[in-house]
Amino acid sequence: MEIGTEVRRYIAGNFLAGGQDLALEDSTPLVTGGIVDSIGMIGLVGFIEDRFGIEFLPREVDLHNLDTIERIERLVLDKLSSGASAGRPDRIDRNA
Amino acid sequence: MPGPDGWLLHGWLQRTAETSPDAPAIVEGGRVTSFGELFRQAVSLASALAESGVSKGDRIALVLPKTTDAVVSLFATLFAGAVYVPIHPRWPRERIAATLEDSAARIAIEASDGAPRIRDSGGAAVLSWTEALARPGARPLAASTPADPAFILFTSGSTGRPKGVVVSHRAAGAFVSWSARQFAVRPADRIACPAPLGFDLSTFDIFNMALRGAACVLVPESCVWIPRFLTRFLLEERITCWYSVPSVLILMLQDGGFASHSFPDLRLVLFAGEVFPGPSLARLQAALPRATCANLYGPTETNVVTWYETSKGFDPSRPPPIGKPCPYAEVRMDASTGELLAGGDSLMCGYWGRPEETSRAFAVLEGKRYYRTGDRVAAGAAGNYIFQGRLDRQIKRRGYRIELGEIEAAFARHDAILEVAAVAHEDRECGTVITAFVRSRPGREMSLIEAKAHCAGLLPVYMLPDRVVALSAMPKGSRGKIDYRALALRAAGEDDHGNRD
Repeated sequence: MEIGTEVRRYIAGNFLAGGQDLALEDSTPLVTGGIVDSIGMIGLVGFIEDRFGIEFLPREVDLHNLDTIERIERLVLDKLSSGASAGRPDRIDRNA
Repeated sequence: MPGPDGWLLHGWLQRTAETSPDAPAIVEGGRVTSFGELFRQAVSLASALAESGVSKGDRIALVLPKTTDAVVSLFATLFAGAVYVPIHPRWPRERIAATLEDSAARIAIEASDGAPRIRDSGGAAVLSWTEALARPGARPLAASTPADPAFILFTSGSTGRPKGVVVSHRAAGAFVSWSARQFAVRPADRIACPAPLGFDLSTFDIFNMALRGAACVLVPESCVWIPRFLTRFLLEERITCWYSVPSVLILMLQDGGFASHSFPDLRLVLFAGEVFPGPSLARLQAALPRATCANLYGPTETNVVTWYETSKGFDPSRPPPIGKPCPYAEVRMDASTGELLAGGDSLMCGYWGRPEETSRAFAVLEGKRYYRTGDRVAAGAAGNYIFQGRLDRQIKRRGYRIELGEIEAAFARHDAILEVAAVAHEDRECGTVITAFVRSRPGREMSLIEAKAHCAGLLPVYMLPDRVVALSAMPKGSRGKIDYRALALRAAGEDDHGNRD
């Protein structure tokens, strides 16, 4: 499964009026670069969870982990390899 | 309680710290700060600020997210007799620099962790939070009066420069003390408000904490991107009072599993900043059968001036009324334009450093000052006002107010752009959609990524256009002015052609 490609396609389709994904590089800043706003991030995070069958924990969801396609890909791969798939109960991490 | 003439926001904290020093004042995840600690830290930082030369009326910029440290800094600023200027660290660096310069901040405090956000301080001394706390100080503190400015909130300005709304202790106190009485805020309450400090909604949780000894429970940033985390936050933190824009509540209802829980502790839900669609509000109230829900209305310049308790009944086929005037407010309708004029105790002092804009913003009627809200209203049943729309090009997106002219000014700073017009329309699923129509120099057409990146260097994220459409010619009216109506129709029409799924 090509995580980066799928995420790029989602962003291009939803935030770049389709078709303009060629200029979207793996290191293009998404939030700080103004491509995805905070409400858009909610949709993107929901898409990633559904598509790859993972559930994020509060401490994983921050600007550092989600601002570029390559970081999103790394986070998703980490989660998939640690076996943290959907169904695991999430809770508010007090030390996040 | 003393009347408006005795109101000092930090005085409320001082009194509560004396009577209930051990009660929780701020809860931030596992970190709980008592009133006694909050007071001691704030006074110690205040005297350190005074030691650094801060005197009465000086501006202190808080380049901090809404954290315990930010709340300590905010009260420290007030104890020092100074005026706080909240600046969100996520703003583009250039906007931060421009706001520091415009407010002529004497000191800017930023978080100690992470990359520094202040590139050009415009003359302000920059202190990291740990540096600020480490400075010893034993200076006597300045005495303030209720008419003195307490904070300056920067909002979108139509000419491309944000405007600073100067708010006095008395003006903020008028809303807070009314809300405390009206909604019976008490020490056992746990109040949450996800709005940043620069948003006037944050007067409710911060200063009701100080006035009533309630706990102010800060919403973790991680909650903002996953609605189910917000729902869990409400449950696990046993929040009793909530205040946000409707958008945040709608997210919890749509994607956060809100309606499948019961919230035995949540007794009060207040919302403001944008229109709450009737069907969503009906769902919210069905999920909270025992809670008081109320729609509060008022621009930053006046804070809340009217309110309507929706949990006493409303017609879900239309948005709720903005309601009746609060007792401290003077509200009237301009008979010819339908514009709502608002005055009274909660009125701002004026715009920071802009005397002409300040005098244009006010109408003086029978010797009293009223702010011209630019909101068109109608008088509905039982004296409740009903919002009808704007008289100008200001829009609301997720409660943030945006001058489309400020977006245009950001585009115009790109040398490829010859002409630009920004319009907004309502999309049933996406809410307010902003489209920028641009005419570029031949051969210099901008891609959407390029356009967004350019604007992201100048504007906060919530102001960025969703779409950029290149035009070879702008539609013009007979007098050569851009025909915004035609562009808005075109922007709304483009939705039908499926740019979004």
